[in-house]
Amino acid sequence: MIRKICVFLAMAAMVSVGMFFAQGALAADSIVIGVPTSTGFLEGKEALKAVNLAVEEINAKGGVNVGGTKRKFTVESIDIRDAAPGVPVPEALLGLEKIILEEKPAALVVGPFRSEALLAGMDIIAKYKVPLLGTLAMSPASEAKVKKDPEKYKYIFRTCLNAKYLVKYLAGTMSFINKQYGFNKVYIMNQDVAWARKTAEIITKVYFDKAGWEVVGHEAFPTGTSDFSSALMKVRAKKGQVILPIFDMPQSGTLVKQWNAMKVPALMAGFISPLAGPGAWKTFDHKIAGAINCNFEMGSAISSDKMPKSKVFIEAYEKRWGVPIEAGHAISPSYESVYLLAEAIERAGSVDADAIVAELKKTDRVGVMGRIKFDEGHQVIYDMDPAEAAVAAVIQWNDDGSRTIVFPPAIAEGKIKLPAGLKAAK
Amino acid sequence: MKKRKERIDRGIKVRSSDIFALLSWREMLYLATPRILPVIVCLSLPLLLDPYWQKVLLSVAVVALLAISWDILAQTGMVSLGQALFFGVGAYCSGVMNHYWGLSPVLTIPIASLLGGLICTLMLLPVLRLRGIYFSMVTLIIPLILVRIVEATKIFGGTEGLSGMTPLPSKWFELYLIMAVLLVVLFGFRRMLDSDYGLVLKGINDNDRSVINAGINIYWFKAQSLFFAGAIGAFCGAFMTHVYMFVGMPVFALDYSILPIAAAVVGGPGTLAGATFGAFILVPMSEALRGFGGLRIVLYGVFLVVFIVALPEGIFHYIQRKYHQFERWVEVDK
Amino acid sequence: MLVGTTLYALINTAILALMAIGFNLTFGISGVANFAYGAFYVFAAYGIWGMLNLLHIPYLLAVLIAVLANVLMGALIYRFVLLRVRGQALSEVIATFGIGLAILELFSYFGWVGFEYTLPVFMDRSFIIAGTYVDFQRLAILVFSTVLISGLWWFTHHTSIGLAFRGIAQDERTALTFGIDSDWIATLSVSFGAGVAALAALFIIPLGSIAPGEGYDVLIKALAVCIIGGLGSTGGVIAASFIVGFAERFTDTYIGSHWTMIVSLAAILLVLTIKPSGLFGKQKELEERI
Repeated sequence: MIRKICVFLAMAAMVSVGMFFAQGALAADSIVIGVPTSTGFLEGKEALKAVNLAVEEINAKGGVNVGGTKRKFTVESIDIRDAAPGVPVPEALLGLEKIILEEKPAALVVGPFRSEALLAGMDIIAKYKVPLLGTLAMSPASEAKVKKDPEKYKYIFRTCLNAKYLVKYLAGTMSFINKQYGFNKVYIMNQDVAWARKTAEIITKVYFDKAGWEVVGHEAFPTGTSDFSSALMKVRAKKGQVILPIFDMPQSGTLVKQWNAMKVPALMAGFISPLAGPGAWKTFDHKIAGAINCNFEMGSAISSDKMPKSKVFIEAYEKRWGVPIEAGHAISPSYESVYLLAEAIERAGSVDADAIVAELKKTDRVGVMGRIKFDEGHQVIYDMDPAEAAVAAVIQWNDDGSRTIVFPPAIAEGKIKLPAGLKAAK
Repeated sequence: MKKRKERIDRGIKVRSSDIFALLSWREMLYLATPRILPVIVCLSLPLLLDPYWQKVLLSVAVVALLAISWDILAQTGMVSLGQALFFGVGAYCSGVMNHYWGLSPVLTIPIASLLGGLICTLMLLPVLRLRGIYFSMVTLIIPLILVRIVEATKIFGGTEGLSGMTPLPSKWFELYLIMAVLLVVLFGFRRMLDSDYGLVLKGINDNDRSVINAGINIYWFKAQSLFFAGAIGAFCGAFMTHVYMFVGMPVFALDYSILPIAAAVVGGPGTLAGATFGAFILVPMSEALRGFGGLRIVLYGVFLVVFIVALPEGIFHYIQRKYHQFERWVEVDK
Repeated sequence: MLVGTTLYALINTAILALMAIGFNLTFGISGVANFAYGAFYVFAAYGIWGMLNLLHIPYLLAVLIAVLANVLMGALIYRFVLLRVRGQALSEVIATFGIGLAILELFSYFGWVGFEYTLPVFMDRSFIIAGTYVDFQRLAILVFSTVLISGLWWFTHHTSIGLAFRGIAQDERTALTFGIDSDWIATLSVSFGAGVAALAALFIIPLGSIAPGEGYDVLIKALAVCIIGGLGSTGGVIAASFIVGFAERFTDTYIGSHWTMIVSLAAILLVLTIKPSGLFGKQKELEERI
C-alpha cells in the first residue's frame, strides 16, 4: 500500500514540476524569440548557441529600440526532435504550436531541421502569423510555396543556403576540378531526404549533363545507412574520378572511413556534415587530407581573412562557449537572423508580425555571410561575391590538418590540390 | 498473529445491482456517475482548456482511440505491436483521396475509416492463424516495411509526403468530432463486448480451441474484430491527416504503436475504459514534461517501468475496485 | 565485383551474428526478450568512449570495466525489474523497452551525437583480398564472431553453468528438481547477454560512430536475425545471419540500397507466416498457430 502511495506521489510530483517548467514565468516587457528545432542534433544545438550569443550581444547594448523604448530579447527554445528518424511530423508540429501558443514569440528563428517538417509546418506558421527565419531546412520547395501564395506564406523566410544555391557552389567546384585535372566521371551519393535528393537532381540536370560529365552512378541512401561498401566498390569498378556525397546524417562519416579503408581512387568533393568543422581532423585520425567539403554559409565553422565579420563571429562564439563551431550549416545564419530581426523591429517600430515581415523584406545588411538580401521567395540570395550577396565556402583539407578555402574565387585562399595517390586525368 | 486482507463488496453495490436501484437517488447516482462523468469531462474539457492544451486534447483522444482499438484486439487474443499500421493506412487513404481526387474531409474521413479497416484486415488475414507473440511480431514488422516501400518506390510523395490537405472547418469541429467519436466508440464497444457476440470474442482470447469445439468459426470472428480495430485506428489517421494538413512516412512511426500500448498498460487492459483513462493520464503528462526537453522521454521510460513493476493491474482496475469494494484486515483462520 | 560483394556480405554476416548472439543467448535461456539490448550496446560504447576520452583510462582497462558494468547492469535489471514480471511476455517487453528508451534518450539528452563519438580501431591497416580492399577491423570482426560463437557453444556444452543454462532452457521445472536455481540462471543469462552486447559494441562501433539511434537499429537487426533463425537457436542465428547478411549486400549492389531493409523485413514476414518458430526453432505447432 505504502509503495503504491509513493508511486502516486511521485507521479503527482512529476506532473506538477512539469507544469511549473512549462509555464515558465517571463519578464513582461521583453521580446521573445522562439527557437523550435532539433536541439539534440549538432546543427540545432550550435544554432541555438549562436542565437543566444547574438541575443546576449544585443541585450548588452541595451536591447532593441521599439518605437522609442528599449526592449530586451529573451530566447525560448523547444526540442521538436524532427531530425531523429521515426519521430512523427505531428509530434514536431505540436512542439511548434506549443512554443507559438505558450511563449507568444515575436518571431521564430532556426526552425525545423527536416524540410519535410518545415513544409508541413508552414501551414501552422501561416495560421498563427509568426515570422520564421529558417536556418536549417534546405529544400527549395518552401520558396515555391511562398511564391505560389505570397499573402498566406509571407511569414516564412530563410537565411541559410538552399539546395538550389548549393548546386551553384558544387557545380562551380566541379568545373574547377574539371579544368584543373580533367576529371569528368562522377559518382553521386546522396541521403534520401528532400533537400539532398533535390540537390543531386538539380546538379545533374543543370551542370553534369551540360558540361560533358559522365555520371557513372547515382545512389540514394536511406537515412541511417551505415555500410557503403557496395557503392564504393562500384565507384572503383566504374572508374569514377570524383565522388559527390550529399549527406547531413552523423552516420555519413562512415562513408569517409570506408573511402579511406577501401582506398578508393577518387576525389571526395561534396557535403558530409561531420567533415565541416575543425574537429574532423582528429575524429578521422588525420586521414581526410584532400577531401573537399562545402560549408553552407561563411561563418559556419569557417572564417575568411577577406571577410572580417566572419572572423569576429567565429572568435566571439569560441570565447562565449569555449568550444569551436563544428557544424558547417545553419550557425552563422542563426546568428545573423537575430540581427535581421532586431533591425526589422527597429525599423518597423513595433513587434507586430505584419510590420516585421514588411521590414524584413527590405533587409540589406552586411553580415557574417556577406551581404544579406531576400529574394521574392524570401530566400537570402547567395552568390560568389561577398560584397554583392551572401556566400558559402568550399574548403579542402590539407595534409597538416588545416583547411583552405578553394571556392568561390572571390574569397579563395588557394587552389584545389590532389591528394597523394591520385593522378590527374590530363 | 497473521493477517490477511479481505475484500467485500460495498452495500450500495449489492443493492444497486438489482431493480431496487430505481428506488433511491443514491443508488441511481452510484450507478450513473461512472457513466456520466466521462461524458461530462469529454464534452466540457474543450471549453475549459487554452488553445495549446486543446491541441493536446486532440492527441489524447487519438491515443485513447488507438488504445481502445488495441484493447479490442487484445481481448480477441491478438496482441498487436503495430497500431501504427492502422493509423498510417487510414492517414494515407484520406490523404490520397483528398490530395489526388480533391474529396472533402466530410467524405474522406468516413471512407478512409472503412477502407483503412478493410485494407488492414486483408493485410493481416494471412497471419490470422498465428497466436501470441508471433502475431505481435508480424504487426510490428508490417509498418516498418510499408515505410520502406513508400521510401523506395516514392509513391504518395515519398519521403516528403503530401501536404496542403483541406483543414477541418474549425477547431471546435475538430474537438467535438473526436470527442463524440471517442465516446461513441468507448461506450459502443464496451456494450458490444458485454453482449453474446463479445462473449465469443473474449472466448477466443481465453481458449480458442474450445470456441472451435463449440462449432464457431473463430477466423471469421477474428477478422471482424480486426476490422473494428482497424477502422478505429484508420479513423484516427484520417482525422490527424486533416488536422495537420499533412500525411507522410512518419504516420507509421513507432510512437503510434508504443503510446497506445503504454496507455492501455497504465490504465489497465481489458475494459476499454482503462485504455482511455491511461491515455488521459499519459499524454498530458508527457506534454507537461516537455519543459524538461529531451529528458521527458527518459522520465517517460522510467515511468513505464515503474508502473509495470509496481501497479501491473493498471489504474482503472484499482479505482474500480475501490469504488465497488472495501478492504479490511482479518486474522487468518487456523 | 561479385567477389568483393561476397567478401563484404561475409563480413556483414559476421556483424549481424555478433549483434544478435547476445540477444539470442538471453532469450534462449530465460525466455526474456530483452528489448533493452540495443541500449546495453550503446551504453557500453559510450562508457568506453567516456573512459578513454574524458578519464584517460588505458584501453584494455576501460574495456574490462565497461563489460563488467554491463554485466552488472543486466543482473540488476533482472533482479529489480524483470523478476517481478517474469513469465508475462508483454510486460517483460514493455519493461525492458522502457529501460532501453530511458537509457538511449538520456544519451541523446546529453547531446552526445556526432561523429567524434567513436571508438578506436584495433589496427589501422587495409589488406587486399581477392582484389578488394578490406580493413583490419572488419577482418577482426570476422574472426571474433567465429571465436565467440564457437566459444559459447563450448561453454553451453562443456561447463556446469552452461549445462545449467541449457537445462533451464529445455524444461525449467525438471531443471529445478536437479537443484538448478532458475532465477540465478536467468539473472546470469541477462548479464551474459549484456556482456556480449558490450563486446559487440567494442568491435562494431569503430566502423562508424556511436549514436543513440544505433541502439534501436541494433535491436531491430538482432530481432530480425533471431526471428528468421528461430528464437533461441544458435544454429539459427548463424544461418539467419548468412541469409540476411548476403541478401542485404547483394540487394544493395544489384538492386539498390533502399531495398536492403525491405528484403530483410520481408524475409521475417515470410518466415513468420510460414514457419513462425523460425528456420531452426523447435516447432511447437499448437502454440504458434491455430
